[in-house]
Amino acid sequence: MIMSRKWIQALVFLMILTTVLAGCGGGSTPKENTDNASSGKEQPAEKVKLSLWHNFTGEDLRAKAMRGIIEQFQNDHENIQLEIQAIPPDGYRQRLKTVAAANELPDVFIMHPGTIAKEFSSAGVIQPLDDLLNKHADWKDGYLPNSFDDFTFDGKIYSAPMSLSPTSILYYNKKILADNGLSVPTTWEELLHAVEVLNSKNIIPIALGNKAPWLAQSSILSSLADRVTGTEWFNKAVLQDGAKFTDPEFVEALSYMQELAMVGAFQEGFNAIDTTQMEQLYAQGKAAMMIEGGWAVTNLVASASEDILANTGVAILPSIPNGKGDPNTVSGAIGVGPAMSSKVEGAKKEAAEQLVLALAGPEAQKITLEANQLISFKAELDKSKVNPLFADLYELVNKVGRTPVYDARLTSQATEAVNNGLQELLLGAKPEDVAKKIQDAQEQGLKE
Amino acid sequence: MTTAARTRAFIIAGLLPALILYLLFVVVPVFWSSYYGFFSWKGIGEMKFIGLDNYTEVLKDEIFWKSFVNNLYIVAYSVFGQVPIALLLAIVLARNSWYQRFLRASIFMPMVLSSVVIGLIWGYIYHPQIGILNFLLDSLGLSSWKLGWLSDPKVAMYSIGPPIIWANIGPYLILFIAALQNIPGEMDDAAQIDGATGLRKLFQITLPMIWGTIKVAIILCISGSLKAFDLIFIMTRGGPANSTELLATYMYNNTFNIFRYGYGSAVSTSIVIISLLLIAGSQFLMNRNKNVA
Repeated sequence: MIMSRKWIQALVFLMILTTVLAGCGGGSTPKENTDNASSGKEQPAEKVKLSLWHNFTGEDLRAKAMRGIIEQFQNDHENIQLEIQAIPPDGYRQRLKTVAAANELPDVFIMHPGTIAKEFSSAGVIQPLDDLLNKHADWKDGYLPNSFDDFTFDGKIYSAPMSLSPTSILYYNKKILADNGLSVPTTWEELLHAVEVLNSKNIIPIALGNKAPWLAQSSILSSLADRVTGTEWFNKAVLQDGAKFTDPEFVEALSYMQELAMVGAFQEGFNAIDTTQMEQLYAQGKAAMMIEGGWAVTNLVASASEDILANTGVAILPSIPNGKGDPNTVSGAIGVGPAMSSKVEGAKKEAAEQLVLALAGPEAQKITLEANQLISFKAELDKSKVNPLFADLYELVNKVGRTPVYDARLTSQATEAVNNGLQELLLGAKPEDVAKKIQDAQEQGLKE
Repeated sequence: MTTAARTRAFIIAGLLPALILYLLFVVVPVFWSSYYGFFSWKGIGEMKFIGLDNYTEVLKDEIFWKSFVNNLYIVAYSVFGQVPIALLLAIVLARNSWYQRFLRASIFMPMVLSSVVIGLIWGYIYHPQIGILNFLLDSLGLSSWKLGWLSDPKVAMYSIGPPIIWANIGPYLILFIAALQNIPGEMDDAAQIDGATGLRKLFQITLPMIWGTIKVAIILCISGSLKAFDLIFIMTRGGPANSTELLATYMYNNTFNIFRYGYGSAVSTSIVIISLLLIAGSQFLMNRNKNVA
């Protein structure tokens, strides 16, 4: 009897657990039936159905503009019915990965360049867009040089970038700098001097929020290291072909990075605050400078006071003494682009191609630019239509060259190693040790 | 069939569907995931069989062991923080006057907040520039005690303790109060007649009477701490420099950030094994204690 009571107890326990778990899993039932019912009445036949996933869920100008384009497309094409899923950017890649693993990608979806696109193309779950691009020469040729690099695998182009993101822009408060007798630092010396002066006045020299540790990598190291090592070295090191991350030039780049933290260029506790809080520090006038990507312009426009905004200037990172890289550059990556599932064919493919063109074609590029988002497409900017700070950024980026962003080229493992390594480095770890970890991770990542 | 047998058959039939679901969606995936651990796999594309490589890598992985130690910290916070504090509060707040009910409600309140909210609140308490904690220390003239609560790798793991204890006391408090109120009144009376009051009554009557509940609470604490994830993920993301990495956040990073599904699966299998060992060990210890007593 005692035994059997134990069994029943165990069963009851299992049952409770299952109910709890079942409750967790109930969120994602398919909703297709309702769509069938509503569309059946108007046009009984010949309606092409397309599923579209995108991550333009925000309330910023660009997301709104993109949703506008999609809506317009829906209105213009009565014979195409879009089944749209908008997924917040944070979980977007994971969702895509998961459905890709089950080979159930949506017909058309917004895809990130670089690693994820490469994996999708080598797994054969997306199809190339070469035919479509070649049909529209004005579109293909309108792009800036190297725009397709991060979407091209085995000589085929799998997507067309919808935007351009410079990741390393120095935002500075003209008033604070001028009040302290400083100008925008263009050399390392000037930067160190500015840090010293600002610290003596109790002003944060450079705001940094590196809790999500990609920021120091993407926004600071990508440009800084390129100044020291040159792009050629980086390209070799990525392939592990004639260069390694343990090479003295990269260790030197890490030392420069560390020097910034050691002389107190960043406020205290930078590893505990996130990018939003970092932008707050700048927007509230507590910090004289901040280094972030071009995307920060929209956030600053939304959160900074008019006074601060009017006094904000944009620049590239200062040059490094005896650096091998071109100092007149900014690290930057092309943005997302529409991709087509390899399962799309026939009439569906035609419709999907129209959608891709609507999302990334010349028209869409212009709309994107006017929504304060840089593009890697040749288009004139009507400055009256955008924020003045964005116009400055547009001018700056068009003036300088573009170098690769670390996380867009490194393997996922090495990216993780750089991100965590920089946190250690900024807290005082030895540059040689950090470099070793990055080297090991890249080597291992290439093998898998 | 006797009535007893029929009842039992009915109960088993009733439980069967749930049991099948449980096996299918919990037990099978656990084994499935340990199977993935034998492959080098990115989530999509080809799976390459690599034998025990992932598992040996786990054993040699410094960050894995660091995460394990951090998990033990969390276990310690729960077992030596949550349980005693909840027990103490339960003993103090066991009666049903209005202010005791009010206090109980306030202690229980964090339970109804999502861990995201709790993480954000404590993130702001610990904030290096505008945090309440540093502000308080400043105004008390204790500026030298100010620390980078979440940004200093040496301190961060300790700073995680208070939020975890604060957020999870509620359910244990309820558990203990229920157990205390279940002690029959006759026991109290008998103890009084025998002259057992105060601490003596606490240690010789009350605690032994609710020992079973305490044991359950400790097991819940250990298993809960081993799967801790959300608070840390919100507050530090395992950083700075992996100093607050937990087994679960490490597994998550490997699987969903680096896309090493095979290695992530090996890590999660190791978590299952470690959890089973710890729970079996703690149960063994507690049962032995009871026999000695």
